Amino acid sequence: MKIKYDTKKRLVEQIFLLEILKGLKLTLKRLFSKPVTVQYPKEKKPLFPGFRGRHALIRDPKTKAAKCVACMRCATVCPSRCIRIRFSKDDETGARKLESYEIDALRCIFCGYCEEVCPVNAVVLTEEYEYSDYTRDPFHFDMERLLKNWDDFLEKKKMEPEKYLNPYLRPRGLPVGELPVGKRVEVPEEWTMEGQVIWKDGKAVSAKEADC
Amino acid sequence: MPENKTDLKETTREEMAYEPYTIAMGPQHPATHGVLKLDLELDGETILDCKPTVGFLHRGVEKLAENMSYAQTLPLTDRLDYIASMANNVAYSIAVEKLLGIEVPLRAKYIRTIVMEMARLTGHLLWLATHALDIGAMTVFLYCFRERENLLDMFEEICGARLTTSYTCIGGVRQDVTGHFLESLYSFTEDFPSKIAEYETLIDKNRIWLKRTQGVGVVSAEDAVSLGLTGPTLRGSGVEYDVRKHMPYDAYPYVDFEVPVGSKGDVYDRYRCRMEEMHQSNSIIRQCIEALPKGPIRAPDAPDLVMPYARQKRVVADATFASGVIKLMEDTEHFIEGDVYVSAEVPKGELGFYFVSDGRGVPYRMHIRSPSYIHIGALPFLCKGQMVADVIAIIGSVDVVLGECDR
Repeated sequence: MKIKYDTKKRLVEQIFLLEILKGLKLTLKRLFSKPVTVQYPKEKKPLFPGFRGRHALIRDPKTKAAKCVACMRCATVCPSRCIRIRFSKDDETGARKLESYEIDALRCIFCGYCEEVCPVNAVVLTEEYEYSDYTRDPFHFDMERLLKNWDDFLEKKKMEPEKYLNPYLRPRGLPVGELPVGKRVEVPEEWTMEGQVIWKDGKAVSAKEADC
Repeated sequence: MPENKTDLKETTREEMAYEPYTIAMGPQHPATHGVLKLDLELDGETILDCKPTVGFLHRGVEKLAENMSYAQTLPLTDRLDYIASMANNVAYSIAVEKLLGIEVPLRAKYIRTIVMEMARLTGHLLWLATHALDIGAMTVFLYCFRERENLLDMFEEICGARLTTSYTCIGGVRQDVTGHFLESLYSFTEDFPSKIAEYETLIDKNRIWLKRTQGVGVVSAEDAVSLGLTGPTLRGSGVEYDVRKHMPYDAYPYVDFEVPVGSKGDVYDRYRCRMEEMHQSNSIIRQCIEALPKGPIRAPDAPDLVMPYARQKRVVADATFASGVIKLMEDTEHFIEGDVYVSAEVPKGELGFYFVSDGRGVPYRMHIRSPSYIHIGALPFLCKGQMVADVIAIIGSVDVVLGECDR
């Protein structure tokens, strides 16, 4: 497709600066409309669930400890290799016991792979993004710090720990059968494979509704 | 050698009168769009020669990829063309899928096309904003960022990040889209043509804009092809080449769109091309939303995110895990030997990934054909004989991002 345009000006346009006046009219109109800017420290934009912010280890409501089973999947998948896990093995049962879990937030690139591959939903990237500091130490998260991050996050959100839901804990649109048991949490209908949305008559509707 | 001090003074003064004046533009010049350095040789204000220096932002992505699994390299592609990272994600995934022989489900293809066109809009909006700002139109900058913000918010909704998206995965996408996302994107596409009209009111016929862009940085169709230009920079010269049309990928064969081409090959034609492309992207997004089918978002034979590779210690899952995990981790049949080159049309031009695989699960060599690097190579040709002030307009019009150039 050849683009056609005409930049030649008529005499009237040339003398009276019509194109500049048109531009000024547009900007002047903006003066009387509502501003689109958000005054950041005072107002904050709401975040969508699944925002990849500060790391946390989810505290198990029953045991009050981290859920991690030391399977090393997060440490293996991490592209920047910022997760360090140490565990010991019980000689009789062969079960792993988590000893330390460290994340170096300064190395992290916030891709969210760790929370997606975690089979028991132990590690999560919370919706907290204001944690700047003057030194490096506060960004080296050990296990206590990661659990504290989780408590702080819940306190800030004023939310029950059981109710927290994040699309990386149960990826949207994946069949339940493909997920490990720990990730089969309850999610809204829209997130499931069956409740997928499609477009029909100018509206987003679930595929199930569209069929009938 | 001159024999005494007075002689030295005489000769240098004489040489100064005839030798060109050299000036270093960048790497900290705000209008070079990053850390590009241009050594300009000037005769008065006319440019005799221009030598670009690149590499200030080199991070070694290609080398890093040789020590990582294919899934681990994907977040690095966010950092190539960091203003339209979705497009890089998609291009990378297509390349790896071709290497591993994976067919992506239709819904994932449509979603990818939607996000790729959204990335094109964000890229072109940022290009228009900064290009106009460089030339002196401040208001367009603010208006473009207003719309770009809406698109970034939508990126955040589907993947949790605004710029470093990492949205696709090998064999599909990581998350399905939501109804709220589709509705907000559709209402955005309804308004967007009127916003483009707003930008055009401000600069399209503005006499300062026309003086700064028309007849500047002219490149003929033959020269553009031999310089290796791609994308809108090539199409501004009148060559109808678009990877989306000529080697269609994802859902592009199913949508109806046109490839806008210019005729004169100057800065103004490239500007018109990109503006028209925004209209086309808008229509592609609408068509994709309307035709979005239901179905899986990941191919059944897609590799797990934890892709094992030869040098890495294999992780053995505990008995406490579901059997699904173990099955995926043992699945190593994907790693085939061979090489593959796949390109995709990103906002800047043709982004290509070349893989040589020796079957270890990591690429033996990954090469990125980044459009920005090749476009910077064309700068000396474009700048010769122009004025110093026009260099800014030319850099803006070829639309380079140094993160992608230096990679």
